[in-house]
Amino acid sequence: MAVAELPQEQTLVRKQRSLWEESFIRLIRNKVAVVSLLFVFVLAFVAAFANYVAPYDYAEQDLMANNSVPKWMLVILPANAENYVRITDKYPLGADHLGRDILSRVIYGARVSLSFAVVASMVSLIIGTLYGTISGYVGGRADDVMMRIVDFLYAFPFLVVVILLQTYFKALGRASGMTGFGAKLLEINDSMGGMLFLFIAIGLINWIGMARIARGQVLSYKRKEFVEAAHAVGASNSRIIIKHLLPNIIGPLVVAETLAIPGYIFTEAFLSFIGLGVNPPTPSWGIMISEAVPALRSYPNQVLVPAVFLSLTTLAFNFLGDGLRDALDPRMKQ
Amino acid sequence: MNLKKSFSFAFAFLMIASLLLAACQPQQVEVVKTVVVTEVVEKEGKEVVVTQIVEVTPEPEVVEQPVTLDWNWGTEPPTIDPSLATDTTSVDVIHNLFVTLTQFDPVTGALSPYLATSWESGEDADGNQTWTFHMRDDIQWVKYDPTTGETSAVMDDEGNPRYVTAFDVEYGVKRTLDPATASDYAYVDYIIKNGQAVNEGAEGVTVDDIGVKALDATTVQFTLETPAAYFPSIAGMWVNAPMPQWAIEEWGDKWTEAGLINTNGPYVLEEWIHGGELNLVKNPLWINADDVQIERIHGVMITEASTAFALYENNELDSTGVPLPEMDRVKADPVLSAEYHSAPVPCTYYYGFTNNKPPFDDVRVRKAFVQSIDRQGLIDNVLKGGQIPATSFAPPGIFGAPAPGTVGLQYDPDAAKASLQEYLDEKGMSLDDFNAMGITLMHNTSEGHAQIAAAIQQMWKDVLGVDVKVENQEWKVYLTTIKKTTPLDEMPHIWRLGWCADYPDENNWVHEVFNNQAGANRLRRGCVDDTCTEATPLKFDELTIQAQQESDPDKRAELYYEAEKQLAEVEAAYAPIYHYTSTNVTKPWLTRNFPPLGGVDFFNWKLDMDAKLAAQGK
Amino acid sequence: MTRYIIRRILGFIPVLFAIALFTFVLMRAIPGGPFDFAGDKSLPPQVVANIEAKYHLDWPLWKQFLSYLIGDDLLGEEGTSRGVIRGDLGPSLRYRSQSVNDIIATTFPTSAQLGFMSLMLAILIGIPAGTIAALNQNTWLDYVSTFGAVIFLSIPNLVLAPILIWIFSLKLGWLPVAGWGAKPPYLLGFLPQPSQWNWNYFSHAIMPVFSLGTASAAGIARLTRASLLQVIREDYIRTARAKGLAERTVIVVHALKNSLIPVVTILGPAFAGLVTGTFIVEQIFGINGMGKHFVQSVGNRDYQVITGVTLVYGVILVIANLLVDITYAWLDPRIRYD
Repeated sequence: MAVAELPQEQTLVRKQRSLWEESFIRLIRNKVAVVSLLFVFVLAFVAAFANYVAPYDYAEQDLMANNSVPKWMLVILPANAENYVRITDKYPLGADHLGRDILSRVIYGARVSLSFAVVASMVSLIIGTLYGTISGYVGGRADDVMMRIVDFLYAFPFLVVVILLQTYFKALGRASGMTGFGAKLLEINDSMGGMLFLFIAIGLINWIGMARIARGQVLSYKRKEFVEAAHAVGASNSRIIIKHLLPNIIGPLVVAETLAIPGYIFTEAFLSFIGLGVNPPTPSWGIMISEAVPALRSYPNQVLVPAVFLSLTTLAFNFLGDGLRDALDPRMKQ
Repeated sequence: MNLKKSFSFAFAFLMIASLLLAACQPQQVEVVKTVVVTEVVEKEGKEVVVTQIVEVTPEPEVVEQPVTLDWNWGTEPPTIDPSLATDTTSVDVIHNLFVTLTQFDPVTGALSPYLATSWESGEDADGNQTWTFHMRDDIQWVKYDPTTGETSAVMDDEGNPRYVTAFDVEYGVKRTLDPATASDYAYVDYIIKNGQAVNEGAEGVTVDDIGVKALDATTVQFTLETPAAYFPSIAGMWVNAPMPQWAIEEWGDKWTEAGLINTNGPYVLEEWIHGGELNLVKNPLWINADDVQIERIHGVMITEASTAFALYENNELDSTGVPLPEMDRVKADPVLSAEYHSAPVPCTYYYGFTNNKPPFDDVRVRKAFVQSIDRQGLIDNVLKGGQIPATSFAPPGIFGAPAPGTVGLQYDPDAAKASLQEYLDEKGMSLDDFNAMGITLMHNTSEGHAQIAAAIQQMWKDVLGVDVKVENQEWKVYLTTIKKTTPLDEMPHIWRLGWCADYPDENNWVHEVFNNQAGANRLRRGCVDDTCTEATPLKFDELTIQAQQESDPDKRAELYYEAEKQLAEVEAAYAPIYHYTSTNVTKPWLTRNFPPLGGVDFFNWKLDMDAKLAAQGK
Repeated sequence: MTRYIIRRILGFIPVLFAIALFTFVLMRAIPGGPFDFAGDKSLPPQVVANIEAKYHLDWPLWKQFLSYLIGDDLLGEEGTSRGVIRGDLGPSLRYRSQSVNDIIATTFPTSAQLGFMSLMLAILIGIPAGTIAALNQNTWLDYVSTFGAVIFLSIPNLVLAPILIWIFSLKLGWLPVAGWGAKPPYLLGFLPQPSQWNWNYFSHAIMPVFSLGTASAAGIARLTRASLLQVIREDYIRTARAKGLAERTVIVVHALKNSLIPVVTILGPAFAGLVTGTFIVEQIFGINGMGKHFVQSVGNRDYQVITGVTLVYGVILVIANLLVDITYAWLDPRIRYD
């Protein structure tokens, strides 16, 4: 028996490694996914070096040039826009209601919106997948308890949590005398435009959806022949989960997470809309859109510019997620 | 299982198919309408469900459209109970439903007769000031029946129509002051004898001891704690309106619902779908019913200003406010600019300084900050609504208010720089040292406040070279932050607030807001300690108390002039920014007014229904 | 199965209790109370005390919570509260003539109608579009459907809604700008009266439903596609094909059914989200729904409304989740609850 098990194990390992390599090759062959990946990389790069890339500071105001647009942009403005809009070529994509350069704000805004998307989705993907897989795999009473916890968190209105965290920590933020870890956290929060607690709150809320999908997937896979076969050869539970279940269920999870990314960015916009987003003047695409929406009919450019960036980013994440799914699916050989 | 499945699919299909079918049906005149009216009302502690099925008989083919105004209340009124209302929406509704003793002339803003035809002051046996109001006797209590759509007179127990009497006024005042009513604005009646004591639940006084009494059916007399020349304005406030005791006792908190409410004003409440619509219809029994031209107010509650503006452009509203971002376009548009009107509103926007927090404990710093605000520049470039630059507190139209620009500190960059420099020299500080103190300006979260703060932040930077940090907080948190109980190191140096008139007298302005004995003393003037548990009155505070008790109008005006000057110019305790305007567009078929003291009185408006229907293509 | 459902329903009770407790306590931990101010004006302390006494806010927190939970009479106190256990969610602190029950009775039906129609739109567009895309993988149909879905996912309804108003109301004049066509009283408490099922109702509903439903439709389409692609390659599908079953039967009966599991998983929360998380759509279209009311009541510190709406939200969610789990068993007989 022991002799027979060793080669079996080895073949499994070898086969697994080649699967991941193949996945990578498949991803590279997918042109749309590669372009999307490049786009995300470029965006991340621009966001990281916004200080050098952006022509102006995001908070620099030029009230005498507020709501101005470059001449070429008049084509997307209403017909009689020449009568009320200021025209200047100083700002490549125009200036907002406070005379701040829209291009610079979009560049800096990429920082907030991207880190929001990445952090929130990673947190939720990792916690959610682990939680859901374990819950579904173990089943029985543990599953019941774990899902009741999920139900509980689901039934809890996310807005209340976020408002609590935001207002509570903001109130704390001005209280002097905070020391140690708390003070450090507040410092980080301040330097992120008050976003740290939003990250935490949103990461902590959104893994639940992932957990449910992961559990649903596991439930349908755990009685499959190959899982039962793995059981039969005495593979450990963690091994079965990592080597057999995860590769099979990861596809829909990645797709779902990619689909959730605009949701995260929108959540940020929603919170900005009700006054609980980033602290002005820190820009994010969400706050730029929600600030400009009331001006949509007079200055559509102020909405369209961040909206276009947001849509392109979403597009990229979607194609990337799609490419990943195709690449990760072990049965996708064509 | 299969059966269940097909059933639910069939059900879903049925739902969708019926939705589509219904959508495709042409609009028809319905022959018979059945209306089910279900009301759950609390009656003597028990819930009674009243269900009525009413057949509405078909109307004739050619229906004369009532003259209807499409209006946006902007929000659900928190209440339309005169004792409880505090916000403008509620007060607007109440103003069209209830009469008050006095009113402000919609054109001149002068105090004028309404329910009371005349009034005079006197003195009672103990030397207290009294005010006696003589009322008209021909205003009826009415109620609207939603099932029949008819407005009828309210009858008393003997079957006679009820007219508005002095007893109703007495009841209303006592109800407002009764602690059980829990009225927010009860404090404006603290001027009435025993008003404060009763409201605070003091021992030995009851509601009956309050200084208001109906001498007969048409005469009501108030006795005051201290003489107050402005009392007729207070008597005309909504909290002192006549109220229907019988209905309130019968229905409890629910008495303001449509169908239950008894009113006595130009309009009656037709329908109130909470959060959705509040509609009024003309009261045919109103004394001046012939002059009320608009027969129905269809009032929606759209919070989003840009949506309301779109409704207006689509002819779904007859008049609305112009959102700030649309201002430039409206002014440039040939049609909209002709419909645009900006009217002053008795409100003032200001920045308060925390007067005991360094460096704002020094008058030179405060002066420097006030004098470097270019108010006209702010109005032209940011606010754009023809606002009036404010250098003192009370706006024009308020009794005792100085004319704009005559009192207070004007924009003067050189003086501002000199003033700050003097301070820096004396303290031996550099500008960097000053900036290291971390001056903070705080406002509640709102796009408009953020714009103003950003612009003024820039002015301080340009003129003084000072870096001010702008923070914002959610409204309720903000209000807690700027209380005077907040520890000094957590207080922002500068914070914003606004104030609007409850009644048009300086007492409601400089005294109630800023007097460090009477008001909230958020400015923390004359504080004996950091959190201002106590404050010593300064010259300003003495002046407003003196003015309160002065009965000669000319002398009062003089005292207020002096008080405004003390606070804004000598102390520079706060920075007045501007007096509000309301910026509106109105369709050409609607003739509306803009009363100098704000508010809406539909009964004075006129609407050309034919022109409106033509524009809507009907 | 019946036992399972009963067990789940009993399980709701502690969940809802915990929600009530958390919301109740946490709301009070935020600075600012409902009655400190009337507008900008701070009220004299005694006036505030009168109001707080009326609503029992002067009681200790534990007592307020008990009063909220079981009612004043069981607590042996004077008062009107009959307690959540007897269906009384308390008075609104902001809208002084209304109870929380009143508010939910007017706002929930609107949100439910809006949410239901949006969900229908999402399912009716999402599942077919996803199926078509999956069955025609890497053809133009797939690209068009994918691209369309991504575009709709990428436009926040914050932008979509005003653009729709601009085009369909102001430019074309086809649809009303804002509002909702149905009024109370509602049929069965939440459906519009049959007499209101007319063009007026649907013309008001089209743009909000579209703004709200398209993103979900796109999400469902993408998820259906992904899931279906995976299922199609399963052995049993191959077997079904090998048995010579018609392709339609294979897809609809075998593949689609199984591929809907992840889709169903998001439908539960999606519905609850559509019902309650609709603040932006309700705000922009001036719809008197529960989402808008909830956000406003947080701003107003209307404690009872916040807790009450949160509870209703919680009930919807746990029921939706239960339905999802039942649907699992229904879609995939291999899942058993025992």
